[in-house]
Amino acid sequence: MTAPAPAVEAAGLHKSFGTVRAVDGIDLALAPGRIYGLLGPNGSGKTTFIRMVAGLARPTAGTARVLGTLMPNRDVLGQIGYMPQAEALYPELSVAENVAFFARLEGHSDRVPVDRVLDLVGLADRRTTPAMHLSGGMRRRLSLACTLVHEPAVLLLDEPTVGVDPALRVQFWAHFRKLAAAGTTIIVASHVMDEADRCDELIFIRSGRVLARGTSAEVRNGAGTPDLETAFLHFSGLDADGRALEAPIS
Amino acid sequence: MSASRILAVARRIAQGFRRDERTLGLIFVVPIVITALLGWVIRDQKDLTVGVVIVNEAGAPGQRIVDALTTATIGAPDGIEVVATAETQAAAEAALRDDNGDLALILPATLPGDVLTGQRPRLTVITGGTDPAVDGAALGKLQGLMATVAEELAAATGGVAIIPEIERQTLYLTAQADELDVLAPVFLAYFAYFFVFILTGISFLRERIGGTLERLLATPVSRAEIVIGYSLGFGFFAILQVIVLTVFVLARVDVPSIGPLPAFTIGLDVQSVGSPLIAFLLAVVLSLGSVSLGIFLSTFARTELQIMQFIPLVIIPQGLIGGIFWPVDRLPDVLEVVAHVMPMAYAVDGLRAVMLRGADFGDAAVQLDFLVLTGIAALFVVLAGTTIKREVA
Repeated sequence: MTAPAPAVEAAGLHKSFGTVRAVDGIDLALAPGRIYGLLGPNGSGKTTFIRMVAGLARPTAGTARVLGTLMPNRDVLGQIGYMPQAEALYPELSVAENVAFFARLEGHSDRVPVDRVLDLVGLADRRTTPAMHLSGGMRRRLSLACTLVHEPAVLLLDEPTVGVDPALRVQFWAHFRKLAAAGTTIIVASHVMDEADRCDELIFIRSGRVLARGTSAEVRNGAGTPDLETAFLHFSGLDADGRALEAPIS
Repeated sequence: MSASRILAVARRIAQGFRRDERTLGLIFVVPIVITALLGWVIRDQKDLTVGVVIVNEAGAPGQRIVDALTTATIGAPDGIEVVATAETQAAAEAALRDDNGDLALILPATLPGDVLTGQRPRLTVITGGTDPAVDGAALGKLQGLMATVAEELAAATGGVAIIPEIERQTLYLTAQADELDVLAPVFLAYFAYFFVFILTGISFLRERIGGTLERLLATPVSRAEIVIGYSLGFGFFAILQVIVLTVFVLARVDVPSIGPLPAFTIGLDVQSVGSPLIAFLLAVVLSLGSVSLGIFLSTFARTELQIMQFIPLVIIPQGLIGGIFWPVDRLPDVLEVVAHVMPMAYAVDGLRAVMLRGADFGDAAVQLDFLVLTGIAALFVVLAGTTIKREVA
């Protein structure tokens, strides 16, 4: 049996800002229908990687492909859902208006997907509330709704559950699971370790390079640590107390 | 009251300025630029020669005056020159309309009789009437010239110099037109342009710094769709604003005295001889250019304060040299060239032509103004589109 064509593919991917190499040679092939956790300390290149996959930044060298299409390419954007770290909502617009706006840009002008996605994120009773009057967690949920409304084949989520309470986080993940089962490829950049544990596969990035890749168990074994949190610190070049290792991993 | 807390607040402001070099620079640069520009415009205005068209209805005695005036002004030694003679007042007015002269002097048939009976003759002078300052200067020169020529004629005949009275008429507005009648057309242009720029500049800056632009660009929407959509959205409100301004400038609603309230009027009741619709359309095209200008310049700002800082650099100079207070053709040569790349100069020219002279779409100047304003608006749509690309690679 041949492996399915990768949904997201990076080959020798580089991105420099002046002398800073934000992404410094990433090679990845991510299979459809799986959830990938993108882990790494602040400034490790996670967001830059995601932005190149989303077609928002042009690689300095190397290539990024989504569903076989070389990025950046507007034609494939309708199949990508990108949820940035910043909320990126229109504060004066209501909850439903924000979602409907992004739905229209994606080519859906009917109300059904808007209602469905608002139900999913638990904002159905806030349809008419202006986004500026929502709490931080609600804004995060609305932002996710805007990302999911067009049922993309590839989901790029940059820290999607920051500020979302544990009960709703569980619901989110149940939904992510359902989407993945239906074939959606999901990349989640996160710092939350119990969230990382829910991913099919983890990718540790530091200084723009992939340091480790595998299931949660594989990553823990590779780092020789009992839990993911310590593994994270290990790959971030820190010991279990957060002090710099004398000979950091490279 | 704590002095240290007050100082902490003041210090915080100074620290902020220290990192915002552009604001710091503008604090020094802007006042100098604006004041220098103003000084330059006022001091170095070109003194254009006033062209006089004479109509002689006074026969041989009148012809003597015509000859004396013509001889005295050859080469325009005092900035005034007789450029033509016309048979009738109508012909002289036609010459002024065709821009073949700045004012017309009519020597009436009663002139010889008045001189013989020792009365001061009454001459009629016709000016454009669309710019009181320009008309006033031209009239002053004419009076100076007539005084000189009267002395010469008197010396030649051994009589006493007779200084005639002058009756003013205007070609376009009534002679009673005030500064407001002349400035009102440019209210439309300037304020619409200004407010729309602020509105769009700040909105689009929010789009850029709030992350929504990035998010838009992660959808299949194209840059052209964003810019055109913006122009349409803000264009709608720009049009509303222009409607409000046009109506207020042209309308006059008398509100009678109610109880203790005195009677008052709403609206400026400005004299406009042309089509309000054409004036409105000119202001709309100008405003649409302002929408794209706002989008374009928002690239170069990181904060709303920095959008405001474009006002003295982009909006005020257009007010100073766009033909609002001083005619563009009188500006120092360099500024005249600069003015001709500013949309304001064309909007002001077109609005004045329409509202003060009754020009319509058949008028070549109005056609040019529309063409240039549309071109500038289109250019900035394209420029605005490229800035969106640059921002996000």
